Amino acid sequence: MTAPPAAELEGITKRFGAVVACDDVHLALQRGEIHGILGENGAGKSTLMKVLIGLVLPDAGMIRVSGEPCRISDPAEAAEYGIGMVHQHFSLVEPLTVWENAILGERIRLDAASARQRVSEISERYGLDIDPDERVSDLSAGLRQRVEIIKCLRRDPAIVILDEPTSVLTPGESEQLFAVLRRVVEQENKAVALVSHKLDEVLTATDRITIMRAGTVVDRRDTTDADAPGLARAMVGRPVSLRSEGAALGHIEALDGEAAAEGSESEPSAESAEESPVLSISAATAKGRDGRVLLDGLSLEVYPGEIVGVAGVEGNGQAPLSDLLSSLLPLESGTVRVRDSEPVPGRPGSMAAAGVAVIPADRHESGCVLDMTVAENLTLVSPPRSRLGRAFLDRAGREAVAERLIEQFGIQTSGADAPMWSLSGGNQQRVVLARELSGDPAVLVAAQPTRGLDVGAIEYVSERLREAARQGVGVLLISTELPEVLDLADRIVVIFRGRIVGEMDRAGMDVERLGLLMSGAQEAAAS
Amino acid sequence: MIVDFFSAVGDVLSSESTYSSGWRLATALGFVAVGEWIAERAGTINISVEGAMLGGAFAAAMGYDATGSIAVGLLVGAGAGLVVGAVQAHFSHNLTANQFVVGLTLNILVLGLASFLNSTLKPETAAAHVFEVPGLVEIPLLGPALFGQPWPLYLLYPLVPLAWWLVHRTRWGLEVRAVGENPQAADVSSINVNARRRQAIYIAGITSGLGGGYLLLGQVGWYEDSIVGGQGFIAIAAVIFGGWTLRGAMLGCLLFGSANSFRLSLPGVGHPLNSELLSSLPFVLTICVMALFAHRTREPQSLARPFIRGLR
Amino acid sequence: MTTAALAPGAESARFSRTREGATVLAVYLTSIAVALLVAALVLWATGGSPTTVLSAMLDGSVRADARWGRTISEAIPLLLVALGTTVNAKAGLVNIGQEGQLFVGAALATYVFTHIGVSGPFVLILIMLAGVVGGAIWAGIASALRYRRRMPEVLTTLLLVFVAAQLVGYGLKNSNLLLDPTPDQANRLLVSERLDPSTRLPRLSWFGNEFPVSAFVALALAVVVALVLSRTIVGFRLQMLGRGPRTAHRAGVSESRYGGMALVVSGAFCGLAGAFMLVGGDFGNYRLTPGFAVNIGWEGLLVALVARSHPIVAIPAAFVFAALRTGSGFLAATGVDRDITKVVQALLVLALLGPPAILFVRDRRRALAAARDRV
Repeated sequence: MTAPPAAELEGITKRFGAVVACDDVHLALQRGEIHGILGENGAGKSTLMKVLIGLVLPDAGMIRVSGEPCRISDPAEAAEYGIGMVHQHFSLVEPLTVWENAILGERIRLDAASARQRVSEISERYGLDIDPDERVSDLSAGLRQRVEIIKCLRRDPAIVILDEPTSVLTPGESEQLFAVLRRVVEQENKAVALVSHKLDEVLTATDRITIMRAGTVVDRRDTTDADAPGLARAMVGRPVSLRSEGAALGHIEALDGEAAAEGSESEPSAESAEESPVLSISAATAKGRDGRVLLDGLSLEVYPGEIVGVAGVEGNGQAPLSDLLSSLLPLESGTVRVRDSEPVPGRPGSMAAAGVAVIPADRHESGCVLDMTVAENLTLVSPPRSRLGRAFLDRAGREAVAERLIEQFGIQTSGADAPMWSLSGGNQQRVVLARELSGDPAVLVAAQPTRGLDVGAIEYVSERLREAARQGVGVLLISTELPEVLDLADRIVVIFRGRIVGEMDRAGMDVERLGLLMSGAQEAAAS
Repeated sequence: MIVDFFSAVGDVLSSESTYSSGWRLATALGFVAVGEWIAERAGTINISVEGAMLGGAFAAAMGYDATGSIAVGLLVGAGAGLVVGAVQAHFSHNLTANQFVVGLTLNILVLGLASFLNSTLKPETAAAHVFEVPGLVEIPLLGPALFGQPWPLYLLYPLVPLAWWLVHRTRWGLEVRAVGENPQAADVSSINVNARRRQAIYIAGITSGLGGGYLLLGQVGWYEDSIVGGQGFIAIAAVIFGGWTLRGAMLGCLLFGSANSFRLSLPGVGHPLNSELLSSLPFVLTICVMALFAHRTREPQSLARPFIRGLR
Repeated sequence: MTTAALAPGAESARFSRTREGATVLAVYLTSIAVALLVAALVLWATGGSPTTVLSAMLDGSVRADARWGRTISEAIPLLLVALGTTVNAKAGLVNIGQEGQLFVGAALATYVFTHIGVSGPFVLILIMLAGVVGGAIWAGIASALRYRRRMPEVLTTLLLVFVAAQLVGYGLKNSNLLLDPTPDQANRLLVSERLDPSTRLPRLSWFGNEFPVSAFVALALAVVVALVLSRTIVGFRLQMLGRGPRTAHRAGVSESRYGGMALVVSGAFCGLAGAFMLVGGDFGNYRLTPGFAVNIGWEGLLVALVARSHPIVAIPAAFVFAALRTGSGFLAATGVDRDITKVVQALLVLALLGPPAILFVRDRRRALAAARDRV
């Protein structure tokens, strides 16, 4: 190959405070190749890509596009150099149509007819099959991603970056996505960078792999020379033995054997069969304000001491289920029972009072209050009351509780009176965890509890969930990361379009069937 | 008494002057509502339009006093509105102070400034002459209302379709709608969210200032501190009433303007119904109508939420 | 456990405290200086002299005989309104209808004393209660519309100000309601009957300065509000609602109950302010008049903004704003229109709005920069 790479990053270094996100990183993206960038959460791969499209300015290093050195300070400039990114979240405006979204951010005069036509063209060329006049709010997650791809390809970029593109897709949809990417690479001779923490994905879809760890590149390989255990080792920096790490890396095969072997040692479901469930949701139906069905007759039971995993593709009712158990969602019909009580869904605090603890997916929205102190956040649900009277706060008592929990859960903070927003994400999550577990709950709902955390924190959270189960708490794990569910859950239920469509326990785990259930192929998989 | 009331209502409804004054009052709201509609589509409930309107009215008086030209007066009025809008925009979408608090403070500031300057400078003004559009003015009942008015009123006629075209047919408008609905998405699509929001507020300031100028030079004829008297707020209510569509907002202006003119007309046909209760009619009506319809319409998803990159 | 892998997130919070304090102070002082400069420019441009104006204002507010008592009298309702505003602001609600709530409170208080037929200290309590109820009802309408019909309270409270003005105006034209039925008064002056001397609030006289005893009630209430917010469960939950409504809902804070209550309490404070104005004698001379509220509601709101919703800070802030009001009374001699004080007030508020916003954004950006891409 004599032509220079489509893009070259040389010696990129970026620090955030004391943290080095990228440390002297070199990377070359070649035309006609899908380049996988593999690493744990927080390994610096996202930062690197943000440097390339101008969202983050590096402290040191140089970018070359087609051999020419250049300075990229915002996404518009990146677009001029032919670099485009397929965003995962927050990039589409729902009430606008597909074509309006596709041309958002361009600088040329608005011409509806030609815009529509180009969207149709691109959609045909890559087999994306989408109607330019449809409103994005009416589209499924998979179709929305196609809009994102069109939005990116419309500028005809030489380099396409995808950041964790499969998190919202079913296995089937992921395959389709990779087929599209293959077409982009082969027909148009573009360079594609695929950022991922999932081994399988990188192994099947890419031509070349760069592995990052703690801000540095630790290995580079051709995909044909790579194998899963080797990649995993390179990524984590030591042989992968812990199951939770396997989960974090998205490596399902590695788990299957282990899961079966370890399944018997802590097998609570046998004894729990005689007990009554701590949580039972029956035929829960709820509609959103816009009339969309959120839950469609969902039924579910959790017994004490077991971890029930709710698997499913994002957007199939996980958020409403979590909201229901956070007393945020009223039901149209159906009931929720917690132990012997029947809390009223949607009534403020009803679920918490009944003994449901929740680690919400978006901790900033319903898990903590950023503008309050750590101590206040640790005692949100039941603040210590003064001996002077039940109406008064016991501020000394609150301090004491906070100090104890900070110690017990290893929360790193400058003090109990530090504002919540000054904590890192992992420590904020520990605050939520500490508060919820300290309330002696009957049920613990964990929605995407490890999203955005690094391996250490993932391990910690997973261990806490297991421990809660060992102490007899019924744990409901709602996660779109299948490996995480497979790793932790004693029993798995599959959620699809607001309904539970299938169930299997640890012994009868069948990953293929799970995939089918998650994609809605219910009949095919029904037993 | 009830019979009296209805006969008075009948008299009012059959009088051309009712329609004329109703239309005049509605158009004053219309100027403001056109701009406010754009500002709200971009995500701001811009309550400083009241101040922009008042500032526009006083500035128009000054402009007329200095040059003797209605056109210059209107232009100066629009400029004053722009200044108010610029302060609002800078405080709420650059410093990210609470937009309502900023708007309210601005309203108080403008009121203080205008009454202070008025008592110090005492501008002399006059009302614009009526221009009858030949032919069209002959239409019975509605003709004089629509086409036999002081000429500044006609400025609104092209302004409305222009605003619609701007929001629905230009790239700028597309970006305005995007930042009002989902500023995060607009941001990653490399749209300057707060710049678009500020620009939308500038426009609201300009049209409100123009509306104030029209109020002074087209309707009242002289400046007084109570000249605006909450009409800016009613225009905001009209936008909300209209469910954030331009057509609906204009309909709201017409409704609230007519209610106001109805109040003014009743005593005129010899029915002294207590004017205080009727004065509150537009406000009460606004509240009732909003209570009935407001929850059914879809507002811009980020309405009244500030955007700071990286914060949600 | 690999806890060491976690980044110390509180790092950004570690900074030199004194340097930070100096920065904050500098930002504030610069803003205020700019505001005063603008006010001075307005004066210069219209031929007035800022120094004469300042001197006249100081005379009018504190220096001249009996003036600081007058300033205290005006600070009382300003403080009460500000306290109410603090309550709703803590719950994350924006009430901008204080002027109307105050007016309705004063009107209901007037209605009670004109119709009860007896007078005396006991009636005084009843009048005060009527004021509280009046303000609470007026804010309660906005509250009900907010939580039953999802109408933004910003707009409803505002629109209700205008309704209140017209409604009370109507009452003042009607001798069955509020208008003084004495024959020579009717139709000429739209005022209510005068409060019987036995039903008036006692006034204190210190060093030749007079003010009603409600000053101490207002001060006590400021302390009570501060304590309720910082030391009680209700106060804690109210602030939780304001800062994280969904988290609060999950933790058992009912938005409609706490938020609705906060708005009603806010209105009640305004109503109480109105009643105190009536029985204190400094406003309207113990009568209700069409312009009775004299912007106390609007300016009380500004006081709360300047005090950044801190009840104790609101005390000096209310005094300063009252001083601007009373000081303006002495401006006539200088030939400068008294409305200039409104300009100064609003400019001061704008000047004080900027810095916290700037500092907030800066702090958040720092924290985010430290936390971004890492855990």
